[in-house]
Amino acid sequence: MKATAMSRTKADVHAVDNDVDVDHPAAQVANGMRSLISAAIPSAGEIVLTDLVRSAGGLSRENWSFDATWTDDSGVHKFPLMLMRDAAGTLLNTERQREFSVLKALANTDVPAPRVFWIDKHGRWLGSPSIVMTRMPGQCDYMVLNSSSPLDARLKLARAFTGLMAKLHTVDWQGHGLATSLGLPEGKPSLHELSYWEAEYRKAQLEPHPELDYILAWLKRRAPRAEAIVLVHGDFKPGNALVEGDRITAKLDWETVHLGDPLEDLGWVTNPVRKREHQIPGHWERREIVAAYRQLTGRNVREADLLWWNIFSCWKLSVIQLTAVAEFVAGRYNRVFQTPSWLYRPMFQMMETADSADSTDGAFGEGSKP
Amino acid sequence: MRPSIEEQLKGTCRVLENVVAPCVNDPMARKILDGLIANLSMLISALPAVPGFLRQDNETTVQLLSTLASSLPAELTARVADTLDKPEPDPVDVAALDARNASLRELLAQAVCIEGLSADQQRAILQHMSERASRAPMRYVATTPSLPPSVKT
Repeated sequence: MKATAMSRTKADVHAVDNDVDVDHPAAQVANGMRSLISAAIPSAGEIVLTDLVRSAGGLSRENWSFDATWTDDSGVHKFPLMLMRDAAGTLLNTERQREFSVLKALANTDVPAPRVFWIDKHGRWLGSPSIVMTRMPGQCDYMVLNSSSPLDARLKLARAFTGLMAKLHTVDWQGHGLATSLGLPEGKPSLHELSYWEAEYRKAQLEPHPELDYILAWLKRRAPRAEAIVLVHGDFKPGNALVEGDRITAKLDWETVHLGDPLEDLGWVTNPVRKREHQIPGHWERREIVAAYRQLTGRNVREADLLWWNIFSCWKLSVIQLTAVAEFVAGRYNRVFQTPSWLYRPMFQMMETADSADSTDGAFGEGSKP
Repeated sequence: MRPSIEEQLKGTCRVLENVVAPCVNDPMARKILDGLIANLSMLISALPAVPGFLRQDNETTVQLLSTLASSLPAELTARVADTLDKPEPDPVDVAALDARNASLRELLAQAVCIEGLSADQQRAILQHMSERASRAPMRYVATTPSLPPSVKT
């Protein structure tokens, strides 16, 4: 009987690969992983991969889950692993080496993150740049803060997410030598990030977008200074974390990690268009998140600055969607996105609010409006 | 002309949902298929609205460019004048309407970034862009990932 794609990916690939088309992605991954392990551990033999499954998640990379067993000079080893492999059409043009360096550094901190095993920087073994890491316990649910769990548990988890962000922002990136691998922004981190995403915008642009150009010009005029330079996740959200009960077991998806302004992550999670993911209506909203962050870090949070980062978050999201449009049109991406016109009006409203907030120069929690 | 475009799109969605989707077990492929069906469904209502949207957008963009013209640099003002002098395309020629729209919006993208626009001009820009965003006929449709039939109870 001819095996289906699903039965092949779920099978013990080592055992069935004589029957599998070598061009099938699962076979590529299985063969590539065996070669990578052999190269990394020359004495490794009897390399067996089981339960190889590609997960449905991940917009920018392929995520493959499997168990790996091998024998080497020191005995028999078995690890639950995840392979993150660049997809043919990707929405985020990032370098695996940066992510690998950060994950290695985080292994020596109390920020929960997967332990990295190997990197295939240029896709020599796996066909495209890839990282292999431990498969961590827990469930990934981007709507976990608004799930059917009791409110107390969700609130505890919400506080844990803000606590984790504060913890990340206190990582000693200098001590871990991350300036070398990540690069230190010159001048204002806000302008540095804007410049990076403007370049992505121009690459993805298939037609004129006066709205995005108008907002970009506004962002350039209003770019805030940073109170500190910290390790920024760049896509901090419940959907990029594994959770067990009210505990975060791992923060995932570090491909956009960089050194920058702490308000960038805070602006991402307080972005009003992502409320349903980050907030619990009536209990854990923008004001509570900012207050908790201020208390945990002792940082001042200027309202106008945070609004700038909220607008930047929407603008960056627009660029990511335009990248998806361009990749789809080029035949490299298999999901249809549209011009992100739904983001324009929230950005215009925040620009008006920021203009008036800027004149009051207020900080959250000090009598100014949220 | 039967089947009409709407009937063909609706029928395609029905076949994909009822015949193809139940046979797709791979979670990734199923997620992609769900998104494609949702997008086709969106197009059923969006497609007839596109020519009208383009006609109206061209008209209001011409008005806005005329409002901004006095504050633009000479070179841009001349290009705006040249473009505005060209005749409007046939109202049922969607490709021509789209090309005209791209020309007008390219000029608008430059005009709105000029420094020194008055408060009234800024208000006119925001009003135009907000109204356009609310009228845009084609929108991304988020889909809730559905379980493949093999894991449905």
